[in-house]
Formats: sequence, structure tokens, C-alpha cells
Amino acid sequence: MPRWGMVIDLDKCVGCQACTVACKAENNVPHGSPREQTERRDFFWNKVIAASSGKYPSVRTELIPMPCMHCDQAPCVTVCPAQATYRREDGIIVQDFRRCIGCKYCIVACPYGARNFNVKEQETTEYQRQDLLPDRKSWGPWPFPTRTHGVVEKCTFCFHRIDQGVKEGKKIGTDVVPACVEVCPSGARVFGDLDDAKSNVSRLLSSRASIRLREEMGTKPKVYYLPK
Amino acid sequence: MALTYTKMEGNSRGFYALTTTLAVFAFIGFICFMITYIEGHQVLGSSNAIPWGMPIIIAIYLIGLSAGLHILAFLIHILGRKEWKSVIRMAVFMAIILIFGAMVSIALDLGRPEKFWRLFMLFYMNNMGSMFAINAIFYSCYFASASIYLMALLANKEKLSKIMGMVAFCWAMATHGGTGAIFGLISTRATFFSGLKPFEFILAALTSSLALLVVVIVLIVKITGRQIKDDLVISLGRFVAAFLCGLILLIWIGNLTHGYMADREALTFLLAGPFSFLFWGFQVLLGEVIPLVILFHPKTGKTVNGVVAASILIVVGVFFERLNLIIPGLAYPQHYFPGEIEGIYGAVGSFPITPVEFFLSLGIFALLALIYILGLKNLELLPVGENVE
Repeated sequence: MPRWGMVIDLDKCVGCQACTVACKAENNVPHGSPREQTERRDFFWNKVIAASSGKYPSVRTELIPMPCMHCDQAPCVTVCPAQATYRREDGIIVQDFRRCIGCKYCIVACPYGARNFNVKEQETTEYQRQDLLPDRKSWGPWPFPTRTHGVVEKCTFCFHRIDQGVKEGKKIGTDVVPACVEVCPSGARVFGDLDDAKSNVSRLLSSRASIRLREEMGTKPKVYYLPK
Repeated sequence: MALTYTKMEGNSRGFYALTTTLAVFAFIGFICFMITYIEGHQVLGSSNAIPWGMPIIIAIYLIGLSAGLHILAFLIHILGRKEWKSVIRMAVFMAIILIFGAMVSIALDLGRPEKFWRLFMLFYMNNMGSMFAINAIFYSCYFASASIYLMALLANKEKLSKIMGMVAFCWAMATHGGTGAIFGLISTRATFFSGLKPFEFILAALTSSLALLVVVIVLIVKITGRQIKDDLVISLGRFVAAFLCGLILLIWIGNLTHGYMADREALTFLLAGPFSFLFWGFQVLLGEVIPLVILFHPKTGKTVNGVVAASILIVVGVFFERLNLIIPGLAYPQHYFPGEIEGIYGAVGSFPITPVEFFLSLGIFALLALIYILGLKNLELLPVGENVE
């Protein structure tokens, strides 16, 4: 069984936010107003943060794209009382909206702020567009019936793409990748099987030093970063 | 002479006015809940930065108020202090109402409250590694054991009430320790993460609930035209003072532990950040220093009025202790990467109290007070006679 992971090359990332937008479009993630964004109610399955250090004129800013880390030891899975968040055999942490009771314990426990609470019923017509993916007709059974307010959402590593790709015998990591990887203009993101020594991710990880975010938490994230 | 109990008369105009007012506020609270349910949590103050708001603060506060009341059972059945027997029925009934209120508050805070039942599908649909699921066992069994205890007391079954009193007491302590573990086991939030949290919660429970009991006993005795022996209230005040000292000790051991670590920014945020006025003003000054001064003062500590005043302050102060745990604890931004995180992801979370959240919270308290008063009217909870011994 593969263990899907992602490698993000910080040297190549230009902070264009294409991954953020592609994720919103791919997964039908609701849009929010600027006010909702400042209130931290608009949400992103993938976000790009900027971390600055130093003082002017010697300032250094790192741009860190942050999807869900799909931790091997995921705190959200441990704390979820309803088994709404669980770890698939391939290591992807998924969120089942039908099971989620909206207790928000996982948001409190996640060290990466990867989880978002859906605070309102989405009304925009764009949000309801059926041609945007994931559409059941094109991607088979999507485990979430319809999106509803009052549940917690997060990045899924676009598992609908991966599952479909596996079913069709395509090569995951090259032919089929998550939307954020596909859209990245500088090729900063690479997706693949961490347990396969010949995969792109394994090759990259063996070629350069890598870090994972907040390793001191012991969560063993499956998203690796190649520092500048 | 064996103690006998009676129902509250509850025929006065004041009684009907009070119940009607409480019912109106409870109904307003229900309407606010329906607004939250239909419109989503956008009408509340919580966000992705501070996911838990007022209902959760109220829930852990009510659980505390409830669990500590069983200390009376411990005093009566183990230490043989029979003088407390006159108020035990009132106390146990209050404990049941409060744990019910806590469960209601948790349900109201859920994004999908209609799936509340999922919390109780223990070992079947639940992840039993979650402290929430473990606490579902604690809360439901606690509710059941306290109810059986009350029934045994109402039926005057001496032996059964002794056994159930002990079961309820032990279970109450476990329940509150479990509630503390919900926070204490979360390593992500620096100020939550502490092995002392369960014990801190137990002491907060004992302190706040005994203080509440003092206030309620004196209030009921005054309203129903009875009299109470001063010694009874004053000796309860002594217990309250002792537990409060223990609580303060545990809180500061926890704070010192967090402060001694190299990474003490989260604690600094609590003590000197934008929410620090809540900590120093309401929790420390109002809820700890002033009550201790009153209770240990040679004059005021030995008067009913002094003990009642200190108890009211403690009941309010422990509420702010709960609030200070959750709001600043969650508002402190997480450091995903070394350096200063720019923009909203590095900003301190804000928590506005919206009208809906305010009236929802008020509605919870009104509902509980209403049930309690109706219970006093319909169940034999009050001791018979002019004097409460």
C-alpha cells in the first residue's frame, strides 16, 4: 500500500497563491468576503503563510505553502469523538462530513491550523456550479453528500483524483496529482509515494536536506519542505 | 428527630413572576439557538482562530458547579457530618440540573446539534481514544448515578443513598478530572497542556460549587421565610476558603511550570497580553484575592453576609477562570514556522460577544433556574420546619 506524501521546494515557491485558488476551485471550497477573512471565518484548504525574521533593512521572508500535513500521528484523528476524521490505509487523513458533529475539537488540536469550520450555508451560485469538481458523475462516489454548514473541512490531498487514477491504472505522482501540484507554475510541489524509493518525492528527499513543520510536536507530517 | 422534607409552596405572585421571567429568557435562548442552527455559527463570536466560545465556557463551568456538590455526600457518609443532611436533597437536585445544563451547552455549541446522539454511540461509532468520547461515558453515567442517588434520598432509603452517594461522589471527581483532561492533553495549545489540569478542574469544581451552594441555600432560606444556623454557612465558608487556596496553588504551579520553560510566550500572552485584564482583574482580584480576604478576615469570615459575599465573588471568579483558560488559550497564534507569521495567520484571535451568543448563554442559565425552581415546587427537597439545621 502506498503512503502518499508531498514535497514542497521553498526555493522554487514564488508565493503566487495559484495552489490556494486551484484548491478552492477543485474542491468547491466556499468563497468568503474580506471581512470574513479578517475574522478567520473564510477558509482555505491550502494556505500560503509568510514568516518574517530580522529587522529592516535586513529582513528575510519565507513563503510557506501549507496544505493539511496528513500526519502519520495525526492529533485530529486522536481527538475526533465521532470517527469523522480518520486515516486511510494510504495515509491520507480524510474528513467525513456525514459523521462530523461539529465539536471543533480537531481545530483546537491541529498544530498546523489546517482545519476550518464552515460557519454558514453557502449561497453563491458559483459555489453551486455542478461543472466544478468534485462532481459525482465524473469522479464516482464522493463520500460527502452535499456541503453543509456546521462541519469541519480540510485538505484531502485530492484523494478523489488519486482514487480515480488508481482505478484507471494511471501513474500517481506523474499522470495524476492533486490540483495544487498540477497548477504550481514553478513546479515547487511534488506528490508521490513516500515508501517507493523510485518515486519523485523519495528521490527529491534523498537529494537534499528537508524539514517538516513543527516536528517537535511528534505528529510526523507527510508534507516535507526543501529549504532554500 | 428524623429529618422530614417538604415541597416549596410556590403560590405567591413573586414565584409566578419569577418563573414567567425565566421561561421568557429560556424561550429567547431557544430562539437564539434556532437562529444559530439555521444561519450557522457566523452569528456567534467563534472563528477558526478561537473555535470554542461561550457555550463551551458555560459547559465546563456548569460541570464544575455540578461535580463539586457531591462533596456533601462525602462529608455526610464518610466523615459522618450529619448536619449537612438537611440540604443534601437540594444539593443533589442542583447537581443533576447543572450536569444536564452542561450537556445542553455542549449540544448547543455543536455545528450539527442534531447529531448529538453520535457522542453516545460508545464503542460502536465513537473513537474511544478521544477525550470527548470518554467524557460522554463520564457525563451520562454521572447523570444516571446522581439521579439514582436523588431517588434513593427521596424514597428515604438510607443504605442505598449511602452507596449511591459514594458512587456519585467518586464518579463526579472522575467526571471533572476527565473534563480537565480534554484541555490538559492537548499539546498544541501551550497553556492547556498540563498534567495538572484534571486536578485543577477538580479543585475549581469543589470551590465554585460549594460557593454556589452557600449562595443558593441562603437565598432559598431567605425567600421561603426559614432560618438557618449561622454556623452551618460559616463552616461551609471554611471549606470554600480551603479549596480556593488549593485551586490557587495548582493554578500557579501550572503557570510557573509554563513560565520556567524556555518557550514561555504563551504564558506571557496570558499574563500580559490583550486579555490579561480578564486574568488579573476578574480571576485574580475579584475571584481570588477579595474572597480570600473576606473569608480569612476575623470579622467578615464569621458572618453569614461575609461568607455569602465571598461566595458570590468566587462563583463569578471561577467563571472567568474558565473563560481565561479558553479564550486567551486559543487566541494565542500558533507558530507554524520560525519567525513572525505575517497577516491573519499570525494575528491574535478576536472573540466578540454577539447578541445571539449573549442571549443564548442567558437562556441556558434561565432554563436551569426554571427547572430548579419547578423541582423545588414539585419534589420534597426542602427540610421541614422553621430552622434549617
